[in-house]
Amino acid sequence: MASEESELDSVDSDTELQEAFRRGELKPGLNIEARAPKVHINNVAGMKSKLQEISQAIPWVERLDSTCDPAADVLGTEKESGEDVVHDDFKREMRFYRQAQTTVLESIPRLHSLGIPTSRPEDYFAQMAKADEHMTKVREKLLAKQVSMDRSEKAKKLRELRKFGKKVQHEVLQKRQKEKREMLDAVKKYRKGQDNKLDFLESGKQKIDGNKKQIHQPGKKRQFKNKKFGFGGQKKRSKYNTSKSAKDMSDFSVKKHATRPGGVKKAKAASKNRPGKRRRQKGKNK
Amino acid sequence: MVKRKHADRSSGAAVDSKSTPKDEVLPAVRTSDEPAPKKQKWTNKQRVLIFSSRGVSYRARHLMTDLRTLMPHSKAETKMDRKDSLFVVNEIAEMKNCNRCIYFEMKKKQDLYMWVSGVPKGPSVKFLIENVHTMLELKMTGNCLKSSRPLLSFDTTFDKHPYWALLKELFIQTFGTPNHHPKSQPFIDHVFTFSIADNRIWFRNYQILEEDGSLAEIGPRFVMNPIRIFEGSFGGPTLFSNPHYISPNEHRRRLRKKNANKYLDKLQSKRLHAENMRQPSYRLDPTDDVFTTISPEEAAKYEK
Repeated sequence: MASEESELDSVDSDTELQEAFRRGELKPGLNIEARAPKVHINNVAGMKSKLQEISQAIPWVERLDSTCDPAADVLGTEKESGEDVVHDDFKREMRFYRQAQTTVLESIPRLHSLGIPTSRPEDYFAQMAKADEHMTKVREKLLAKQVSMDRSEKAKKLRELRKFGKKVQHEVLQKRQKEKREMLDAVKKYRKGQDNKLDFLESGKQKIDGNKKQIHQPGKKRQFKNKKFGFGGQKKRSKYNTSKSAKDMSDFSVKKHATRPGGVKKAKAASKNRPGKRRRQKGKNK
Repeated sequence: MVKRKHADRSSGAAVDSKSTPKDEVLPAVRTSDEPAPKKQKWTNKQRVLIFSSRGVSYRARHLMTDLRTLMPHSKAETKMDRKDSLFVVNEIAEMKNCNRCIYFEMKKKQDLYMWVSGVPKGPSVKFLIENVHTMLELKMTGNCLKSSRPLLSFDTTFDKHPYWALLKELFIQTFGTPNHHPKSQPFIDHVFTFSIADNRIWFRNYQILEEDGSLAEIGPRFVMNPIRIFEGSFGGPTLFSNPHYISPNEHRRRLRKKNANKYLDKLQSKRLHAENMRQPSYRLDPTDDVFTTISPEEAAKYEK
């Protein structure tokens, strides 16, 4: 754009500029020389002639080249976006890989048809491009990666299991609570006389028996001691007052606490039966 | 170097058993009717000189040695002084009896350039080399015989433009190991892949694990960004210059400029924000404050 304008102006621009300079309108720093746009060379004829000059008329076996498209996209990695292939490492590498694959699939049969061996026999030993030490390093790294991946997989599975286990525990608890509630309801009904049968007891018992036949029950002494000193469960905070314990009035006896202070009648009656010392002595003297 | 346990033993035994009964006596004179004994089958005598200038980084050096190990038809040379002009390379290659040359040079200790050239009379190409990964990296799991011949795989894009076609021919002649080269192994177990993406040539080297097409990468891997194709060797008239090429200096300049603009933009937005905030949001009567009384303590505070 800028170049076109400058070309149009350039016919009389020199004289104009000179006049402007004479008038003193031009000062250093005001004007910047426009850079010529880069010219890119594309000498097609030259390149073609050069190509002909260097090309060799020799059989394919000497050159082993092949020009091909990438192999069919089996994994479907490239389908989503065509543009992003260059910047997506995985997709790009897959494309190169598939191109190499096509070459292999094309060239190996061709070589076989020419009677050229491609794979070496097992007892053919020769120097490799990478030394054995290097390859052991590579293998170790692969192994380490495998191990770490396995470990993380295991941890993930365990986490999942733990989550699942918690769910199961929760379900069991709820089931127990439900059974208890049903049982209590049934008992209530029986008490009120709505129900005459005592089946619910048996069915509950049967269930328990079915589930817990094998569970060992401690002896009576042990059970008593457990009751007295506690067994299982949290020991901490077991002696704290709770709202329930505060409401509990079973220990309260009216006889002890609701009478006037010092007003225990029995004791008074007893004292009345026995006279004071002096009276008793007087009585003796009589 | 090469061991052939069973085959050698068995063939040797066969020769012994045959030779012991009666020794073969060679005729004293060879008749002219007989065809001359066949010469070596090594006809395509490409020799590649691979070397670099002084001051290349360790990574470029490793890449160079990798190419040397993979190409049995290559020759090495000591590093060249940077002061020498590139035409000297032609003489060095001729002295080394090479007709192809791969020459690495590094500018600013960070930008690697590679020349691929046909030595007596061109063509030659200058590439910018990007994203170099050498064969020693542990993520490349493949391995191949040290000097087996590679298959050369090219993208179909190489046939679409004359300059790609020229590059392809040059690559075939430089990277392909000639058949029956004395140092080469008789088996084919790896593929050099040249593909074009993003106007660059991506080089990969894969091992052929199975002949049904499963591969493993051996390395090295690098990207060649063509800059210019010259008619002669290391010089001469330009046949092609890449319009998509951006020099690393320019690239870095653009990045810096982008960052600089970021800072300037931030400053400007801050200034504009401040200016906007200075304007009164709605009209207030300045005399409203006249009747507000201030306690003496407060007033003392303001006097300070």
